[in-house]
Amino acid sequence: MRNKRQVITAQTIATLLVFVFLVPVLYTILSSFKEMAELFSTTPTFFPKKWSFANYIHVLSSGNYLRYILNSLIVATTSTIIAIVINTMSGYALAKFKFKGSTVIMIVILSTIMLPLEIFMAPIFKIITFFGMYDSLWAIIIPPAATPTGIFLMRQYLLTIPDDIICSARIDGASEWKIFTKIIIPNAKPAIATLAIFSFMWRWNDYIWPLISIFSPEKYTLQLAIANLTGEFGTDYTSALAISVFSMIPMLIIFILFQKQFIQGTVESGMKG
Amino acid sequence: MTTKVQSYRNYRFKQKAIPYIFLAPNLFIFSVFIILPAIIGILYSFTDRTLFTFGSANFIGLQNYVKIFKDEYFIKALKNTIGLVMVTVPLMFTVALLLATLLKQPIKWLGFYRSVYYWPVMISAIVVGIIWQWILAGNYSLFNITLQGFHRFLSSIGLISTPFTVSPTLSDGRFAWISVVFAILWSRSGYYMIIFLAALLSIPETLYEAAEMDGASRFQQFRFVTIPSIKAARVMVLILVTMEIFKIYPLVVTFTGGGPFRATEFTVQYIYEMAFRYYQIGQASAMSVVMLIIVTSFSGIIFFSSKRGENQ
Repeated sequence: MRNKRQVITAQTIATLLVFVFLVPVLYTILSSFKEMAELFSTTPTFFPKKWSFANYIHVLSSGNYLRYILNSLIVATTSTIIAIVINTMSGYALAKFKFKGSTVIMIVILSTIMLPLEIFMAPIFKIITFFGMYDSLWAIIIPPAATPTGIFLMRQYLLTIPDDIICSARIDGASEWKIFTKIIIPNAKPAIATLAIFSFMWRWNDYIWPLISIFSPEKYTLQLAIANLTGEFGTDYTSALAISVFSMIPMLIIFILFQKQFIQGTVESGMKG
Repeated sequence: MTTKVQSYRNYRFKQKAIPYIFLAPNLFIFSVFIILPAIIGILYSFTDRTLFTFGSANFIGLQNYVKIFKDEYFIKALKNTIGLVMVTVPLMFTVALLLATLLKQPIKWLGFYRSVYYWPVMISAIVVGIIWQWILAGNYSLFNITLQGFHRFLSSIGLISTPFTVSPTLSDGRFAWISVVFAILWSRSGYYMIIFLAALLSIPETLYEAAEMDGASRFQQFRFVTIPSIKAARVMVLILVTMEIFKIYPLVVTFTGGGPFRATEFTVQYIYEMAFRYYQIGQASAMSVVMLIIVTSFSGIIFFSSKRGENQ
């Protein structure tokens, strides 16, 4: 009896919480379909009184928003591909080779989590400039591709691949690179999928790296462009709401398609960009 | 014969070099973009370098450190940040653990709830800031309109007789600060919930059955079975949340902009301003070093206090 009441209480609380998590996003999406006059109305309603695409048309026709979306896509995709290759390589080395310094390297990699780049923005800016990457998309593609959590995720997964496969390939005379591309990568697909979607999300949502390294407006990413819509003189909501919804769409699609990987990935390594 | 030995040697060398070659790209990026900045930052903090100093800068000893600890804005940002960590970390821990406990109950639509609570994790901090600013800021925001609705309802049934006053929301320092805490909880608790949920689900059911047979109450079961069983997850969540709160910045950029009157300005934002608005890289680096020391001591304390608990 007591148990049944408990279940009903839990069910009610869980349902109420759905509103807490969904209403803010829903209200933002609905507001993006309001006309300017309605956005600044003194008696706002939850649903638009009159549905309008004016904000979206405004955003897509004026300014460089298509450019920013394209930049974000280029950055997220390229950086993810690089991340997959180099993190899988490192994970493979740490999982399947015995070599001098492997423990030290592992400790160094894990402790880099404790050095948040947000804190050392100024030296990073200097280094990016030194490499001639300032104001180039490469600056937000290459450096963040190496992630300690990515390596950790790949290593943990590759430990489960039996050594025998690798050994027999070696006896058959396969080169190390061939073993990596023909045996390791195909066998690591689930972990690679997890890394890929997390990496894409991190890069798509990233703000700090573009903030430090991008100067020219035509190289802005979506997040940088959205952030620039707010300022001391208030926020340009007509653009900000519509473009925010735009920035959420790819994430929503990815989330619906790959929920399992997200939940699994979070569990496996406490993934943090 | 010699060629055979040589080729064998070559092979051995290759075999030995291979793991290093596979690690090379990652280690290169780590050294150049994570470890090197930290070292350079420490060096910069003792110089009078500005953003536009290209050759060498002058060594000025501890002057930057003296300066930043006399800088009231830095002290304020530091206090704000440490306060935020002290308040948000325990709250996040509790909220995430409660959400996970809730989703461990035998209720319907578990997968749906889990996805909905997790979903804000996917939204960028910049957009989370926009969403909450849109909901809170101004006299006619959703927040104020809802308050007004409640007020009208309460006065219509005679519980309130005072006229409605608009909440200042984000133009009030304390309100803005609390809103930042709330926005962090809203956007990130789903993530830590998942970590806790996995830990909770791995506790063998027999432990609870045994505790129940011994007459343990629900609370006692939670305290003496659940809490000790999820130790690894507890430590991980504490360290991850602490790190995350210490480096908070993108969220406030679009949410409060650090205002009103620097009430929600945290250290990373001030470091950014010092480096890229006032161009004082020396001072900015001194702040970075101070932050690094604070961050590592916090995670060190969490880590070692969890180790000590193990021996008892």
